[in-house]
Amino acid sequence: MIDKILTLWTGSGLYNLSPGQAVMLAVGLLLLWLAIAKKFEPLLLVPIGFGGILANIPEAGLALSAAEQAAHLGRPELLERLASALRVSLEPGAGIEAWRHTLSEALHGHPAPALVRAANDAAIDAGYAHGMLYHFYSVAIASGIAPLVIFMGVGAMTDFGPLLANPRTLFLGAAAQFGIFATLLGAVGMTTLGWMDFSLNQAAAIGIIGGADGPTSIYVSSLLAPELLGAIAVASYSYMALVPLIQPPIMRALTTKHERGIAMTQLRPVSKREKIVFPISLLTLVALFLPDAAPLLGMFCFGNLMRECGVVERLSDTAQHALINTVTIFLGLSVGSKLMADRFLAVETLGILGLGMVAFAIGTACGILMAKLLNAVSKAPINPLIGSAGVSAVPMAARVSNKVGLESNPHNFLLMHAMGPNVAGVIGSAVAAGVMIKYLG
Amino acid sequence: MQDTQLFNEGFALMGLGMGFVFVFLTVLVIVTTLMSRFIGRFFPEPSADATAATPRPAPAAQDDALMAVIGAAIHRYRRDRRR
Repeated sequence: MIDKILTLWTGSGLYNLSPGQAVMLAVGLLLLWLAIAKKFEPLLLVPIGFGGILANIPEAGLALSAAEQAAHLGRPELLERLASALRVSLEPGAGIEAWRHTLSEALHGHPAPALVRAANDAAIDAGYAHGMLYHFYSVAIASGIAPLVIFMGVGAMTDFGPLLANPRTLFLGAAAQFGIFATLLGAVGMTTLGWMDFSLNQAAAIGIIGGADGPTSIYVSSLLAPELLGAIAVASYSYMALVPLIQPPIMRALTTKHERGIAMTQLRPVSKREKIVFPISLLTLVALFLPDAAPLLGMFCFGNLMRECGVVERLSDTAQHALINTVTIFLGLSVGSKLMADRFLAVETLGILGLGMVAFAIGTACGILMAKLLNAVSKAPINPLIGSAGVSAVPMAARVSNKVGLESNPHNFLLMHAMGPNVAGVIGSAVAAGVMIKYLG
Repeated sequence: MQDTQLFNEGFALMGLGMGFVFVFLTVLVIVTTLMSRFIGRFFPEPSADATAATPRPAPAAQDDALMAVIGAAIHRYRRDRRR
């Protein structure tokens, strides 16, 4: 009888809860609190936070593959089979806990895919299964599908009218991408100084946070540095939510009151034909110059064409609402599954959060400086405040430009003008992502 | 030594990436401007027509929706009354 009670106790979550898991459960609850009480990107932080909590339930192994679960729970014979599948050697006298540790380390260390498949097969044969969140992750993120479908939805929600009316604002979107590359350099620099240990691939994936574009950062890090995905996704979505706090001080510091009050001429009307031809010409340029950005920008253009062509209302409506919402749920849960204690709780995560913030600030500053330059050389006046919208974060960054503009001149509505650089930022960060994938992939 | 190499490579990636982003978006600015001019010249949209054509279907659609809502309300009202 007492044995039975002991088994129940040793199998309980409380008994198995590690300190790291407790911390991560608290982090998950913190994310939920930020989303629900503070309304920070609730659409993403609720699924991410909840996924993080699910992933850290002790013993449930929802975010683990079959092989990882087997390494954690299996009998000695199975552990030996796993070791031979992974081509690692287990010390005969080391005891079962040491074996489990060796195997978990081997599985975390990114062995060759063929070895992982063999280990998973051995575990599945022995009756273990992939966890639910592991399935979500492999379908939604490891395949790259979820960020791309979201990009299609974003395309279907985007109006290129302001950009077409004033194509020069594309330069602002380009300038703001400097944040991405400056952060890459920062991450590499920290490695050189010996503070952190990032490879070039990891540095590139961290830099993309500066693009302030959630789907793009998830897509890039799933290709270049899947091990950092959790931290990168959390950083990029939190900074998108923090746009109204981070940007205004930088915007005020870099502009004079007179510059903030500059009124811009009204945008010309844009014909329907131009709006239909634009995604096609953008796609043509991508096809000609940067095929590596084709997945991201191709889906983006496709979504936008569905919106503008006017003959597939139903498809455009699905892409904008039902589909993007469905995918967001699974994307959020999958990102949450990467918030597992043993991988998330590392010094690197702090480095990523810090660098992401820097990336964002540099992008904002460069956009504003570029807008000042454009204002100096062009005939039509350009308010430097719209430059900060060059970091994507649609439409939050444009709203911030509008708000700061209204403070200086209550009759100056910059929202439509800022939408141009804002969507240019989306294109710019996708191009930057394409260059990184081309260079490092 | 290896670290310096890493830094240099990061620097190269930065120059290359930033350069490419600017070149690409500059080409996009040129193409977009040309495209707009081309369409404006060869397929000028009768702007008066466009503004007149868009509001017209909108009230019709609204009326349909309105009629449906009124119809449903009358239906429910009558049904509730009968009880």
